[in-house]
Amino acid sequence: MIETLSVPERRTGTILAILLALMGLAMAAAARHGVMSAHGFMALGLGLGLAFRLGGGLYESEPPKDRMHRYYDAPTRFGIVMTLVWAMIGMGVGVWVAALLYWPEATPPWPATCFGRLRPVHTTGIIFGFGGNALIATSFHVLQRTSRARMADNLSPWVVLIGYNLFCAWAITGYLMGSTQSKEYAEAEWYADLWLVVIWVTYFALYIRTLARRNEPHIYVANWYYLAFILVVAMLHIVNNLALPVRLTVAESFPVWSGVQDAMVQWWYGHNAVAFFLTAGFLGMLYYFLPVRSGRPIWSYRLSIVSFWGITFFYIWVGSHHLHYTALPYWAQTLGMTFSVMLLVPSWASAGNAIATLNGAWHKVRDDATLRFMFVAAVFYGLSTFEGSFLAIRPVNSLSHYTDWTVGHVHSGTLGWVAMIVFGAIYTLVPQLGGKKDMASPRAVEWHFWLAVTGTLVYVVSMWNAGITQGLMWRAYDANGALSYSFVQSVQAMAPYYLLRTIGGGLFLTGAAICAWNCRATMRGAAGQATDRPLVAQAAE
Amino acid sequence: MLKLHYNLEKVSMGLVAAIIVAASIGGIVEIAPLFTIDETVELPDDLRPHTPLELAGREIYIREGCYACHSQMVRSLADEIDRYGPYSLASESAYDHPMLWGSKRTGPDLARLGGKYSDAWHVAHLIDPRSVVPVSIMPSYPWLTRPLDTDLLSDSLATLARLGVPYDDGMIASAAADALAQSRPDSAAMDGFQERYGERPAARAFDGDPSRLTEMDALVAYLQSLGTLTDAPFRTQAEDSR
Amino acid sequence: MRNPTDPRNLPGADPHTGNRKIDPVTGYDTTGHDWGGITELNTAFPKIVIWALVLTFLYSVVSWILLPAWPTGRDYTRGLLGLDQGEEAIKGFNDLSDRRQDWLSRFSGDDFDALRADAALMAAAMPAAARLFSDNCAACHGTLGQGGPGFPVLSDDTWLWSGDPEEIAMTIRHGINADDPDTRYAEMPPFDWMERPDRIALAEFVADLPNGPADFESSAGTLFSENCGSCHGETGAGGLEIGAPSLTDRAMIYGQYPEAVMLTLRHGRHGVMPAWTGRLSEAEINLLALYVAQLGQHGGGPR
Ligand code: HEC
Ligand code: HEC
Ligand code: HEC
Ligand code: HEM
Ligand code: HEM
Ligand SMILES: [Ca+2]
Ligand SMILES: [Ca+2]
Ligand SMILES: [Cu+2]
Repeated sequence: MIETLSVPERRTGTILAILLALMGLAMAAAARHGVMSAHGFMALGLGLGLAFRLGGGLYESEPPKDRMHRYYDAPTRFGIVMTLVWAMIGMGVGVWVAALLYWPEATPPWPATCFGRLRPVHTTGIIFGFGGNALIATSFHVLQRTSRARMADNLSPWVVLIGYNLFCAWAITGYLMGSTQSKEYAEAEWYADLWLVVIWVTYFALYIRTLARRNEPHIYVANWYYLAFILVVAMLHIVNNLALPVRLTVAESFPVWSGVQDAMVQWWYGHNAVAFFLTAGFLGMLYYFLPVRSGRPIWSYRLSIVSFWGITFFYIWVGSHHLHYTALPYWAQTLGMTFSVMLLVPSWASAGNAIATLNGAWHKVRDDATLRFMFVAAVFYGLSTFEGSFLAIRPVNSLSHYTDWTVGHVHSGTLGWVAMIVFGAIYTLVPQLGGKKDMASPRAVEWHFWLAVTGTLVYVVSMWNAGITQGLMWRAYDANGALSYSFVQSVQAMAPYYLLRTIGGGLFLTGAAICAWNCRATMRGAAGQATDRPLVAQAAE
Repeated sequence: MLKLHYNLEKVSMGLVAAIIVAASIGGIVEIAPLFTIDETVELPDDLRPHTPLELAGREIYIREGCYACHSQMVRSLADEIDRYGPYSLASESAYDHPMLWGSKRTGPDLARLGGKYSDAWHVAHLIDPRSVVPVSIMPSYPWLTRPLDTDLLSDSLATLARLGVPYDDGMIASAAADALAQSRPDSAAMDGFQERYGERPAARAFDGDPSRLTEMDALVAYLQSLGTLTDAPFRTQAEDSR
Repeated sequence: MRNPTDPRNLPGADPHTGNRKIDPVTGYDTTGHDWGGITELNTAFPKIVIWALVLTFLYSVVSWILLPAWPTGRDYTRGLLGLDQGEEAIKGFNDLSDRRQDWLSRFSGDDFDALRADAALMAAAMPAAARLFSDNCAACHGTLGQGGPGFPVLSDDTWLWSGDPEEIAMTIRHGINADDPDTRYAEMPPFDWMERPDRIALAEFVADLPNGPADFESSAGTLFSENCGSCHGETGAGGLEIGAPSLTDRAMIYGQYPEAVMLTLRHGRHGVMPAWTGRLSEAEINLLALYVAQLGQHGGGPR
């Protein structure tokens, strides 16, 4: 990082790092004990570490003068490394919690490691840690390439990435220590939420400033999606996390919303975390890496427009499909159901557009595991959105809700779509960033592909079986009109599926570990520069 | 249209504005009316907020992530009424910041749990679920026997009061004392507790040991309060059945 | 004004040469933009997408007309069907109750002997009873009524109160030491006033009771007769139907070893069996009473 910054930038960076350390010190001192003080010390340590690194290297040799005419890839490289680190954490914990449901006796007798605290570590670690770092890292790459402009400045990418990872680390260490708001996918406590707002504003400003420097008058579709991701996530995050801290010095707060309104706000957020975090952002990724890797033009510009606005407009309405038959008023459920059905059209239009883009490149799909990752991602994107719209229909949801069917749907989306597209992007990016022609071991990519596909299928199919069995058992009536099964019988019936799911997850994790190793081997040594064409300087707006 | 878009995608702030507009409408249409349509939440007269001890238990429920496996929302479906009892009403969670309706039933729904089991059973079950339900896959929570920290209780009540939960100044001031009193019904503080919260909240040594105020006391008190804060769901069910 | 959809004016024309790049695979031209090598085709908008949009929109409109759907400020559109999900659920529940009516209602009365004699009725009812038992009682008494530490066995033939279905129904209805005005009351008083050596002797004596004839003339035996016989019976066999358990069977609630008895003697016992009125209907309670009575007879339940 330091070798890419000029002396004045290093100076500003040092000041920012010292400010971070001071903030941490203030938190630790004010809170004195408990989670918030631990988090204060984390910030203090990080700030001091950065300050020493930057301040200590203040007068090390400067980057070449013409750096502003090249793309700035060092932050992307860091983001990819963090993506892989979080993949190991998030998926490792995923496999572990999956195992705990089969083998609960394995829970160690201390608080930090029981299922209830680890589950949000998995979801936050994987969605925000793995997914978020992948999105930020690739967005930096895509933004520069599709704008043919270097990042607007050299410090904010680091602020965004480091600050964002501090948020993730605060969040999951908080859960382990017992601090959580319990709002799904937004469990982090109030000060972490505030911190994320600051980081996000920086991210948005950087994005928009860089876009303004672009050398192509039109903004490419990938950037529409990344923009929607940044903007809507900010909106959702702020509204859903509004809370009053119990005291300014403790990591405990009460959300301002309560009861049915809280439920609606939570799932308006929760669903659109799916839509704008796990979907819009990754569609941006797909829209860049798929055409690049396949060497094909996007199949239909017009279809892109309709899908983009369809997704942006329809998605926001559908959160209430998480609350069918609950105390949420019926009218809101009807809206959630109908908009979910309409949402299928733009969703499939995107998947279709991606798959049609491969027309003329099918031989590459056959031969290139990287492109195959992207192809499978598009297929699973289509599958999981179809499934989603189906699950959103009230009578279907009466069976599936609360069961492992939801979990199956989730992982067909997250393993099959999100993780696959990330791996596709990583395998395209990493050689390029390292100045190599290909990954260190193309065979390992092939292995990873098949492990990932098998793992996903085993996971998803076992959870479909589990969920449907569970749902049917809960509502089964015998000939005499009496419930046939007690609840624990349904718990017992899950055992084989939970075991299978653990195995499927293990396969997927193995593949991801191979990926991490392969990326390390590829990145090591060569600190090459990306070989893309240099910039022509001129602003578009 | 195409032309319009063709121009829009050349102006980044235009695109930003369009995204914000497109992505705001749905949320506004679905959320705002939940505050304006009166029948959304009809507060029953007998609805009581949680006592300080129950509230502390609720925080433990949240801390341990029980909501990851247990719902507290009986849906309006015949089989759920059959298995769990009257379907849940919006008013029941009106004072819940946040709501704990849940989204996964790895374990059964807990909305109607209060009074279903004895305190002793809960204690045994939480310390080691498999000692009472051999096939259970619920984790053990042996550390819940540690002392309860009541330091934040007054501030918690005060914060909730600011958000509209009916806690008065007396309740806020004596929150910690009331928590202790509820777990030690023979103590002198009991009168004050009943003056503030009435006779309805159960007051017992929930963990079986009146000499110590533990996290177990709080969590069991909370579990025993589930579904007992108002009788409204039972009344609604009785009315509709006729 | 240029019509952007007219192929001749399409932006696909290369801005410099005026030539359009035709993609050999699809036969379409591109939009003429190039983002670091990425281009887009000007493919015509697929008709099927329009049709799909129209179709899903129609589905939605029909739903909005029939069901509660759009908020209107302080109210919302109710929909032609006038549905209310709570009422629907209750209706469904009432239908279920009707389906069960012909056999379940027979359990509302309390002529247990007649019910027990009706084999066909019992065959229909026992699976329902087993499910009710498993969802409500098994957590304490075990799936087969085998009990557990702190919770009595229901599948043997000694009873705290009585093995009569009437009495069992009474226990289920109002519980023991429960939060119910009519609950049964049964308390084992603490004997902490007793000298510790005496308690130890007594504990060993009691823990040994199931192992065969005991010597009630011994000093521990005398202690027993003086202090305990009134509740647990002269020989400790219980059966007095006052909630005091038999101490001579091998199904001690709290454990058949001196340490457990010591605890009982030191602190007393106050076991709580919840009351089920309100949670279960009268017929369901009677059904369970018969089920439990049978558990005792068969030592393990009909299933
Ligand atoms: C891994 C999932 C899981 C977690 C986490 C979990 N439970 Fe459970 N819980 C279960 C399962 C499965 C059952 C059903 C088997 C049983 O009774 O133990 C259950 C049953 C229960 C019951 C009995 C409900 C009834 O009506 O029979 C209660 C009460 C309960 N849990 C409370 C809690 C509390 C409190 C916590 C958190 C401290 C918690 N659970 C955490 C899975 C879980
Ligand atoms: C919370 C635990 C718990 C649950 C749930 C429970 N019981 Fe009990 N039950 C007890 C305890 C404890 C006793 C003994 C009370 C005592 O020690 O005095 C008991 C006693 C009884 C007795 C009296 C036994 C005798 O020997 O006379 C019957 C009958 C009984 N239970 C039936 C049921 C049925 C039927 C259900 C379900 C509807 C049920 N119990 C649910 C804890 C429970
Ligand atoms: C006032 C009546 C009464 C007297 C006197 C009494 N008991 Fe009990 N005893 C009970 C009752 C009622 C129970 C069941 C308590 C429960 O489970 O809640 C019980 C339970 C017990 C148990 C536990 C049984 C088991 O299944 O684990 C033991 C042991 C016991 N008594 C021993 C004694 C001894 C020894 C004495 C005399 C020193 C004694 N009791 C005197 C009423 C009495
Ligand atoms: C190694 C692979 C993985 C395994 C073994 C795994 C396992 C699990 C398990 C056991 C649960 C809890 C389910 C329950 O409570 O019953 C879960 C939930 C979840 N996981 Fe994963 N997971 C994996 C990968 C991922 C990935 C890659 C993502 C996202 C990118 C993800 C996102 C989620 C989400 C969002 C939930 C919450 C689902 C809900 O609330 O319904 N998981 N996972
Ligand atoms: C058209 C698109 C989609 C629709 C309409 C949709 C709909 C649904 C529905 C109805 C549920 C079940 C809610 C419940 O009963 O609890 C659900 C859950 C979920 N879906 Fe989707 N889905 C879609 C796409 C996706 C995709 C692509 C992903 C992931 C990448 C995803 C991730 C999730 C997650 C994480 C949950 C679990 C939420 C929770 O309970 O914690 N969905 N979705
Ligand atoms: Ca939060
Ligand atoms: Ca206590
Ligand atoms: Cu959703």
